[in-house]
Amino acid sequence: MTPPRWFALEDDGERRTLRLASAWRLPQLAEIEIALAQLALQGDGVLQIDGSALESIDSASALVLLRVLAGARRSDAAWVGFNEVDQRIVEQVRTHLAAAEPTPATRAFGPLARLGQSVFSFGSLLGGHVNFFGATLFALAELVPRPRRLRLRELTVQLEQVGLQAIPVVALVTALIGVVLTYLLGLQAEKYGANIFVVDGVGIGATRELAPIIVAVIVAGRSGAAFTAQLGSMRLTEETDAIRTLGLSPMQVLVVPRVLALMIALPLLVFVGDVMSLVGAMLIAGPMLDVTPVAFVARLREALDVSHVFVGLSKAPVFALVIAVIGCRMGMTVERDTRALGAATTSTVVQSIVAVIVLDAVYAVFMQAIGV
Amino acid sequence: MQAGPVIEVDGIVSRFGEQTVHDGVSFTVQPGTLVALIGGSGTGKSVLLREIIGLQRPTAGRVRLLGTDMLSASEAELDAVRRRFGMMFQDGALFSSLTVAQNVAVPLREHTRLSPAVTDALVALRLQQAGLPADAAQKMPSELSGGMRKRAAIARAIALEPEVLFLDEPTSGLDPITARAFDQLVRSLVDDLGLTVFLITHDLDTLLGVVDRLIVLGGGHVLADGTVKEVMDVDDPWIREYFSVRRIA
Repeated sequence: MTPPRWFALEDDGERRTLRLASAWRLPQLAEIEIALAQLALQGDGVLQIDGSALESIDSASALVLLRVLAGARRSDAAWVGFNEVDQRIVEQVRTHLAAAEPTPATRAFGPLARLGQSVFSFGSLLGGHVNFFGATLFALAELVPRPRRLRLRELTVQLEQVGLQAIPVVALVTALIGVVLTYLLGLQAEKYGANIFVVDGVGIGATRELAPIIVAVIVAGRSGAAFTAQLGSMRLTEETDAIRTLGLSPMQVLVVPRVLALMIALPLLVFVGDVMSLVGAMLIAGPMLDVTPVAFVARLREALDVSHVFVGLSKAPVFALVIAVIGCRMGMTVERDTRALGAATTSTVVQSIVAVIVLDAVYAVFMQAIGV
Repeated sequence: MQAGPVIEVDGIVSRFGEQTVHDGVSFTVQPGTLVALIGGSGTGKSVLLREIIGLQRPTAGRVRLLGTDMLSASEAELDAVRRRFGMMFQDGALFSSLTVAQNVAVPLREHTRLSPAVTDALVALRLQQAGLPADAAQKMPSELSGGMRKRAAIARAIALEPEVLFLDEPTSGLDPITARAFDQLVRSLVDDLGLTVFLITHDLDTLLGVVDRLIVLGGGHVLADGTVKEVMDVDDPWIREYFSVRRIA
């Protein structure tokens, strides 16, 4: 083995001397660490560390050397020949090392405990939503005796953002859904020559189920996330606290206009979605199924009972209420660090979409039961 | 170790559109000293600091940090210099998804090949050097107070044993007692570890207590440069007003 250039161990019978050489600094420390590991310092007799040939030592290297000495139970070694600066560094590290308390280990949880934790946190999340829902209803009820407390300006701003500005994306997506639905139904119906009945399927399917769901999912991603981000960043900058200290209610100023705006806008957007999906269906029905637009509209009048459209539209305010409550609540309760805001926004989107689909299923069963 | 000056700033001009922030700023900083940069709001202290560490380019002039020309250096050379200085940002800029200990370990994991045991021991040493209690190691940055967060940021900045440490307003937002303890911490880094520290501050007590040298920025130039005592005697309206607060008290 070639003698390592960082140090040399000399033994003159009376005592052993570890002579340090060159510069002991962090960039070379990995090599030094490996070289030191092969050194046998154990045993009795006088041991001294000689720093006279050393260029410099930094605190990381001093730490490694002190740890090696401690590991060999030779912390008693004498340090000689160090210059003043290096001596101070070594002394400082030695003091810190002596004062070091073992860092408390983080508690690890078993799978059962983790399951319990997640059930518990899901429960408290739901409980928090219900609580916030109640507070929102209360704030809405406050408006009944005093309607002038409603912030009309904020409401119109929100209506523009969640309603008007969402029209292009809603129209595009629902039109394409209409096209796809017609195409899929048409493939089957053509085999039986039942082309015209595609209109029945698309008309009922789109207006009763698909348009409300698709539009609600788009709005959850667009406006629900926006609510959380807006309210959450206002909380981070203490704007919500400022609103409170000015004697205003954040529920009235921030939450109620958003909830109302979404409850007004979503049914309108669903109606846009209904129309656009039928337009999309009509456009593809001509070239693919030989159903002319005139025939399409005529068949639609017979096949699509208006009650289907109303069932679809009646879900929209419920979806809107759930999306707005989740979005606002996640924003108002975001913790005060930047990472939490991103997590809350993502969580809002996931929660709202899941909630919308669950509600839709409940709705379908309920409607079946009452026979609409 | 650096033989010549650690920081050399020569004829820096910084212009943003119509507005000229620096109009020929020059100074040098010698190794092993604690230097403070002061100046009124809008005199471009932070801009100058960002220009020295290469986060921003001046319109004209020359910056040498640890002997490397920061304006003409290649990305590889800049990387090499980046390992030799540490920077503490005003609010700490700790990574919020990592614990304090993980934050300090980031530069060590990235730039060294030390064994995990030594890395852990070194992280513990850095936290101690920064004056943090052992139980702070496993906390998230959001659970720390302002003073603790600044200490954690120092611990991360000195993780790689840099030769120069830059501090942006290290005592702002701290109570006087914590701030003085922080001053002592910075002083001990210079005295015990042989670091060069360059800091921006508004804190008069920091200047009077621990600083070796003071550079005053104003009107796009260096208004004064010297020990605190020397600077106090400079005849300039802004400097007179700045120190008069303390003279009355």
